[in-house]
Amino acid sequence: MIYDVTHITRYEYAAPVVVNDCVLRLRPREEPGQVVSRYKVEVRPTPSDFVEHADAFANRVARLRIETPHRQMSITSSFRVEVARAAPPIAALTPPWEATAALAAASESLDPDSPALALYPSRRVALFSAATAYARESFAPKRPVYEAAAELSKRVHADFTYDSAATEVSTTPAEAFAARRGVCQDFAHVMISGLRGLGLPALYVSGYIRTFPPPGKPRLVGADASHAWVAVWCGPSFGWLGLDPTNAIPEGDDHIVLARGRDYGDVPPVDGVVLSYGGHDMEVSVDVAPVEAKA
Amino acid sequence: MPAIARTVSASAQADAQVAGWTKDYAPLPGIPDEFIGPDGARREPWTALLRRLAMSPPETVAERFAAADRRVRNRGMSYRVHGETSERVWPIGRLPLLISTEEWRQIETGVAQRAELIERVLADVYGEGKLIAEGALPAAALTGSPDFIAAMRGVKPPGGRWLRLYAADIGRGPDGRWWVLGDRTQAPSGSGYALENRLVVSQAFPDIYREMNVERVAPFFRDLRAGMKGSGDRAEPRICILTPGPYSETYFEHAYLARYLGFLLVEGDDLVVGEGRRAYVRTIAGLKRADVIWRQVDSEWIDPTELNSASRLGVPGLIDAIRSSGVVVENLPGSGFIESRAMLAFLPRLAQRLIGEPLKMPNIATWWCGQSGARERVLENLDQISIASAFGDGARGLDKRRVALGAELGEAERAALKGAIAERGLDYVGQEVVRLSTMPRWENGKLVPRPFVLRVYAAATPDGWKVMPGGFARVSDKPDARAVSMGQGVESVDVWVLGDKPVVTSSLLPSRERPHIARLLGNLPSRAADNLFWFGRYLERTEATLRVVRCLSARAVDPEAPATGARGAFDGLKALLVAWGAIEAEAKAPRPADSKPALEPKTARPAEAALRAVENRGSALSLANSASHAASVIRERLTHQTWTLIGRLKSALAELPEGPLSDAQILDCIDEQLNSIAALAGLFDENFNRGAGWRFYELGRRIERGINTCRIARQFAHQKATEHDLDVTLDLIDSQITYHSRTLIGVALGPVRDLTLLDPYNPRSVAFQTERIAEHIAALPVLRQDGIPEEPLRLATRLSAELTSEIAYELEDAGILAIENQIAQLAEAIGRRYFLHGASARAEKVMGLG
Repeated sequence: MIYDVTHITRYEYAAPVVVNDCVLRLRPREEPGQVVSRYKVEVRPTPSDFVEHADAFANRVARLRIETPHRQMSITSSFRVEVARAAPPIAALTPPWEATAALAAASESLDPDSPALALYPSRRVALFSAATAYARESFAPKRPVYEAAAELSKRVHADFTYDSAATEVSTTPAEAFAARRGVCQDFAHVMISGLRGLGLPALYVSGYIRTFPPPGKPRLVGADASHAWVAVWCGPSFGWLGLDPTNAIPEGDDHIVLARGRDYGDVPPVDGVVLSYGGHDMEVSVDVAPVEAKA
Repeated sequence: MPAIARTVSASAQADAQVAGWTKDYAPLPGIPDEFIGPDGARREPWTALLRRLAMSPPETVAERFAAADRRVRNRGMSYRVHGETSERVWPIGRLPLLISTEEWRQIETGVAQRAELIERVLADVYGEGKLIAEGALPAAALTGSPDFIAAMRGVKPPGGRWLRLYAADIGRGPDGRWWVLGDRTQAPSGSGYALENRLVVSQAFPDIYREMNVERVAPFFRDLRAGMKGSGDRAEPRICILTPGPYSETYFEHAYLARYLGFLLVEGDDLVVGEGRRAYVRTIAGLKRADVIWRQVDSEWIDPTELNSASRLGVPGLIDAIRSSGVVVENLPGSGFIESRAMLAFLPRLAQRLIGEPLKMPNIATWWCGQSGARERVLENLDQISIASAFGDGARGLDKRRVALGAELGEAERAALKGAIAERGLDYVGQEVVRLSTMPRWENGKLVPRPFVLRVYAAATPDGWKVMPGGFARVSDKPDARAVSMGQGVESVDVWVLGDKPVVTSSLLPSRERPHIARLLGNLPSRAADNLFWFGRYLERTEATLRVVRCLSARAVDPEAPATGARGAFDGLKALLVAWGAIEAEAKAPRPADSKPALEPKTARPAEAALRAVENRGSALSLANSASHAASVIRERLTHQTWTLIGRLKSALAELPEGPLSDAQILDCIDEQLNSIAALAGLFDENFNRGAGWRFYELGRRIERGINTCRIARQFAHQKATEHDLDVTLDLIDSQITYHSRTLIGVALGPVRDLTLLDPYNPRSVAFQTERIAEHIAALPVLRQDGIPEEPLRLATRLSAELTSEIAYELEDAGILAIENQIAQLAEAIGRRYFLHGASARAEKVMGLG
């Protein structure tokens, strides 16, 4: 699939901002199965400093600073991406989950794809016994890791209600778990907590997903949103495999991966610190437009 | 020979005294003791110390202990328990820990060797990565620590090293050897407290201290400073201590070390990464390079753009500045993971590999349960070992406890813990149970054996690792050795390394050198200027409020005051207190027709509220608290005496007796507080260097006094003012005597206005304030190079000239308001030009969500 993606973020500040240190994670990861072209990001007002580097998980992160006093900021990123992922593995062929956990604990790497970076509780994902117990139900002894994780993802989809009014960006996995409600971020956090509780490496994936308009209706431009799901490490031969608990599907050609991290806190698309003395309003619009084959 | 007889009897008395202190002293069963050896014999240096103490008359000993306590309080030595808002006074134990030179040499080599080992581990983990790649250190034994900072991989350390200051917590085991219990590599605390303990104890017992040949600790700090100085790339680098601020547990120590070492104390907001990816301090003279940062903020919080974006303690872009060698940060972010217990399992083996020799001082045997072999061993031997969390303070099955002794667990707890270890062994270590030695602690006039932990410091210097001869020891008040952290009941004691020769005295600077002479401290950081300015303003506002309350109370008790005339002045005073937020506005309840327009029956109530109602932001107590808060942020710039006076001002108001106060009580209290404020003003005048810092304090006071005096004149010296009003004016500006010595015809509007607003000879007049303000601003550094005066100077000069040319009889009421507004604008302009982010901007978190 080929998509043209546009992601616009606008800030309106209540008082003039003197210094704005901003962090962007808007450029898709370079990884097998997705090829990015024509990537462009425009920031207004014009930053005085703009650098891009790879972070600990090999995400492409841009840091910029605006030093002219301003009351509005807009960030527009756009790119074309061609997604053609390998099909998910035959679940039964993946190693027993206990073996994966042991290999992760014995990992001899700190590189960006190392499972050792994904084993422990992180800032926004604590381990708690309820989530671990919930996950354990899918992990019978010696069960192939991907089979068990895919089942867990489906159970989260079945047992939790999608409800954007139930949680906020700061909701903890324990709160979302107790309410059995939330959005993609909450489902991903709960599933990660459960997996890590069993000693399995799990990461948070930030990106976009193609949405389909209701039958007979045209696709609405800009009505899409950011999305989040989970990557679980399935041993050295299979590596990181994506599972989307919000939709009960594996990561596929409808998913576009921006960044991977321990939890949401590692990968917000737009993040930063401003010097100011008022609040702010924010507006986001995302458009994921499938491109016809001729393009 | 009467003299000798006397000596003998004094000596016998001393022996009796020591016997009294120690008759019940017995080592705890199965636990070694510092004072009494395994053979039951008392050890020499301890007996010598006790005898020397006993030789002084008992009153003297008690007096010296009391003097030490007083010194601790007066110097404002304090620490904060995490999560508490108030500071606690630092508890210093009576008896130092004694260690012989011979034994100390072993500790010294052991600690220096370990520091070097850790430096090499850090260099490898963040550099070449051979330890991980070759399986000598599992990656997961690091990544569980929040202080493993993956972003630091591949960074070349700007100062050439990862560690500048290292500390080891050690204790003596049953075999008589010293054991390392834990490593401190993030930002080892306690060295400043150790220094302060030394000052207090050596001043309390100067003779004993001298006679026992105690090794000095000052040279260590000289070496530490030399090490830091050498790591910058300029000859005279600017060295900053980066503190999380006054709410940090060890802020006192940061302020103390900054002052002792002559470093600049900064918070995250003071620093900025700018041109050339270098770090700079925001000062009133613009951005100045910060060459070396001694980091006291945990790695996780050091840079909100690369690490935890919720941090308000860090500096955006600091990691990038380190990456580009634009600043030296010590210890480097990421060095803290060494502190986790999991690392204790690997360091002994890594020693052989990295430095080719075994550890000279062992650490307690530790097994990290993330490895299957170690995990099985721990589970099989659960009864003989203790279980602790591998990285943080807690883990499943340990609940709130830091350490569980296998043998002490109930069946259910045991099963739960075993299950948790089997499922996530990563989070646990098993450790050998070591019974650490005890030392004598002074309790109610006798000695008892109590467990202690000794922290020993090593600094990297151009001549290798230097170890502080002494350290920071914490002694528990309970016989149980398991929780000796600085909480309730734990004392810290001085540590004496005893030589056999008299010690050569050394101060911080070698006497033969000719150090550079500096008269001023360098450029004043904007935040310090800001806080000095506000300290001045709050202090002045406290004074003004006290004067208004005094006037209110004094008039209430004056039987001569004619009811009708006093009434207006009375309401005016209350209106002023309402305007300043000292009391709440009264609801305008319609007066019953028959009530007499007599003096307010509830006089005491507004006066009381204005004094001590902490919920009113303008009450004298709230203002004193604000002044004290502003001062606490710049503590390293204030003398101990200043700090003591500020504390007294605050506590006198906070500790007023409960229940309604009599007018006399109120007046007494006010007079006492006005005296404290006068004393503070005197201290600033006589003791504060005439640098920019003093000018900002002065600017704060002058601006506040200018504004308040205008407000008073508008309230009481307006065109329709009565004689009473004018009399109140003179009271409030403390100018009764001046007025009456100059004007013989009684109070009249013109002369009162002149004295209040325009008279440049009266230190209470507005004109006097504006003249001083203009002088101070003219003496401050300028940023512009084109000779055009900056905004604050333009406003101040204009205002001062306006007041000079004004004539009292031609001044309209509106004119007074205009002057007041101009002073307020001037204050804003000062904020914009000199302070961190103008008047009130602060860092905020902005997070985009999708």
